[in-house]
Amino acid sequence: MPEWLPLVQAAAEGAGYGEFPGIGARNAVWIAAQVHLMFAAFVLGVPMFAVITELVGIVGRDPKYDRLSKEFTRLLVFAYSATALWGAVLVFFLTTLYPRFWVHLSGIFGVTMWLYVGLFFVESFTLYLYYYGWDRWNTGRAKWGHWGLGVLLNVWGTIVMFIANGWLTYMMSPPEGVTAATLPAEVGLWNALANATWMPINIHRLIANAVFGGAIVAAYAAYRFLAAKTDEERAHYDWMGYVGNFIAIATLIVLPFAGYWLGREIYEYNFQMGVTMMGGFMSWLWIVQAVLIGVLFLAANYYLWIGMQRIPGSERFAQYTKWMLLVLVIGWLVWATPHTLIVTREEVAAMGGSHHPFLDVLGVMSAKNTAVNLMILTTFLSFLLYRRANKRPVVDWARAGTVVQGAMFGTSALVVVGLGIAGYFVVDTVRIGFSVYQVIAVLACIIGVTAIDLALVRGAESRGAIQWGRMPERSQYALFVLAVTFTWLMGLMGFARSGIRQHWHVWGVMQDTSSFAATPALGYAANMITLCVLIFLGLVAFIFWLGGLAERAMGKPEPVASVGAAIPAGGP
Amino acid sequence: MWVTNLKVVTVALVVVLLYTAVAHIIPQLESAVPEQLTLSPDMSPRELADAGERIYNGVGNCASCHGLGTRAPYLLAGHDGAGPIGARCLVTFGPACKQYLYTSLVDPVDSVVPGFAPIMPDMRGQLQGENEIWALVAYLESVGGEITVTAADLTERASEAGAAVIPPTQGTTDARVLLQDQACLGCHPMDGQGPPLAPPFDGIGARLSAEEIRVAILDPSASVADGYEQYAGMMPETFGQQLTAAQLEALVRFLAERQ
Repeated sequence: MPEWLPLVQAAAEGAGYGEFPGIGARNAVWIAAQVHLMFAAFVLGVPMFAVITELVGIVGRDPKYDRLSKEFTRLLVFAYSATALWGAVLVFFLTTLYPRFWVHLSGIFGVTMWLYVGLFFVESFTLYLYYYGWDRWNTGRAKWGHWGLGVLLNVWGTIVMFIANGWLTYMMSPPEGVTAATLPAEVGLWNALANATWMPINIHRLIANAVFGGAIVAAYAAYRFLAAKTDEERAHYDWMGYVGNFIAIATLIVLPFAGYWLGREIYEYNFQMGVTMMGGFMSWLWIVQAVLIGVLFLAANYYLWIGMQRIPGSERFAQYTKWMLLVLVIGWLVWATPHTLIVTREEVAAMGGSHHPFLDVLGVMSAKNTAVNLMILTTFLSFLLYRRANKRPVVDWARAGTVVQGAMFGTSALVVVGLGIAGYFVVDTVRIGFSVYQVIAVLACIIGVTAIDLALVRGAESRGAIQWGRMPERSQYALFVLAVTFTWLMGLMGFARSGIRQHWHVWGVMQDTSSFAATPALGYAANMITLCVLIFLGLVAFIFWLGGLAERAMGKPEPVASVGAAIPAGGP
Repeated sequence: MWVTNLKVVTVALVVVLLYTAVAHIIPQLESAVPEQLTLSPDMSPRELADAGERIYNGVGNCASCHGLGTRAPYLLAGHDGAGPIGARCLVTFGPACKQYLYTSLVDPVDSVVPGFAPIMPDMRGQLQGENEIWALVAYLESVGGEITVTAADLTERASEAGAAVIPPTQGTTDARVLLQDQACLGCHPMDGQGPPLAPPFDGIGARLSAEEIRVAILDPSASVADGYEQYAGMMPETFGQQLTAAQLEALVRFLAERQ
């Protein structure tokens, strides 16, 4: 037993709760946890594509990818400190403000907490080696060794995240048999760690971190683009913003599937918890989420459409923009349509019932699933047109290939709409099954069209090089909107995940008996989320500024020497 | 550069404030902690009414029908040109208002307001003891009227009634008792009897699987049975909070066996 544990235990024998001046204990922990989580998502997400872009640079022998990767990593060095600081604040707040709960948690997970700290050390030093060894290990086999450090960085980070996820998912879904009378020492560690929602949260966060990292990097690039003094700088940061946005949106498209899995596991674990989440006091949260995701789709597509203006040959696709915008806006409106309305008696009389005769039809899952799948298809089409804009295929089956691609889009859209309509005429169990087929239709289209496209543009003639840097400034603000929206969305989903426990520290095991036990309404939660987002963005802006200072102090060594040239021909 | 900084900060602020505003526009639902409610003879009428308000919005689940205006008359707001329940009761029944409200809670079918279906259950089956009924009466009187309930009306001593816990409710797992207590039979006909406001329980096991019945109880808005579309939204969505797991399973088992 650690020597500090009796002290905490003694504190726990009192009221079990500490007091925090001004904002109260819950809000203090809320801010510390949320801001820590935002930084953690950033420092776990960015290394993922730092190693991918470094690999692209090595294999493709393109130094600009290596420079991009290094620039990502420089942001990490500063962000790690902030993550650790907020993590320490969170632990101190938990031990002093919620000692009874902390004793329970550390009584079960104490060993993993030591492991966590140890891994954090290893992860930090791996990062230092990775960043500061960049120029030293930049050629030949050493470069591959350096890339291996990047891979290791991801491995350590993922394990650290999985451990922390075990603690928080235990709070949501403690294993069967654990009750209020169960002593922490009687709870099996692996049993508690590998609980019902552990792996779905692990996968969901892994993907979400990549989304978040991409969005923040794109925002960084946007800021540097706006501050750029030369065309070369503008071109570089324009390209960096595009890559960040591409990664954010490409990974966002698969995120809902991880979300479905998590939701299903919550229902499987405890049906009432699922109903609380989707149909209970939290049901309106999903309308707010729909508003945010609609903004994400619109901003991401807007950025792509503006970006096409710097691509020679894109004029031929401009006529389709307004139709894609129409689909996105209609889809957004349907997705954000509530089903159950709080109305006055006069409004009930005017509507002819407790549900609106028209909106009621759009507020159900059949309509919403159809809308979101069509929005995903439209966004994929935007990416495809962007990719094809300056290419003139030379393969003799180019026309037929394009027709097949069009047919795939059409078939997928027909399946989505057809099943959406059919959903109104079947029982709910069958209707839920339809949503799976809708998703399969969209994924099949994305995979099939991409496969054809890769072959179709192989060796294609160029209609002209992309004129990187020739972007209007307003396009960069779309990237800021994306980053801010992703950050706010993370706060909202954090509230959803944590809030469905309601007045339990550990669901069904340890009740929250503090004066902050009630789960607040969305308005209150929104105020807290906004506060956390502003704290995070303020600190990120500071980190970006530090990044700029560091670059100036180093006297702008970029561009990096050709990486690929130093690697033996043929490569490993 | 300062202009750019200002623009970036403005964009960020506008975006977060927009989302905050959206979250404030929608209905504000808080998940309160189930509270311990102790009713004793030394309570003042005002304290009784306050306790009644918590019952009205909590375990009584009154607002799910009386707050929509379609299933039952409005109580907290005016109805048919008359004022809220306390005011219109006082005007119509005078000193007998207290007794009328009590009767309408324990024998609601006889007191049903013309134009509305007799779907309200005997509230003695919903609440714990007479004292809570009287607390509810005190609250209803207080809405636009005058509280005439006193501690003398409380028929049970606090020591006898004990501390009433809201929710979950009583622990019986007798499905027939639950169907009666939870007012299911106020809408769903069974054994060929009852108002046809919802699908009959007779033969429900042949129409739905146990899982479908469970979903229909916990999340009634998930689907609406054919032919009952005009009653969509009537069934409360609070059974997940009111029933214990054992009670829920007893109900599901009982209904699934009604082939």
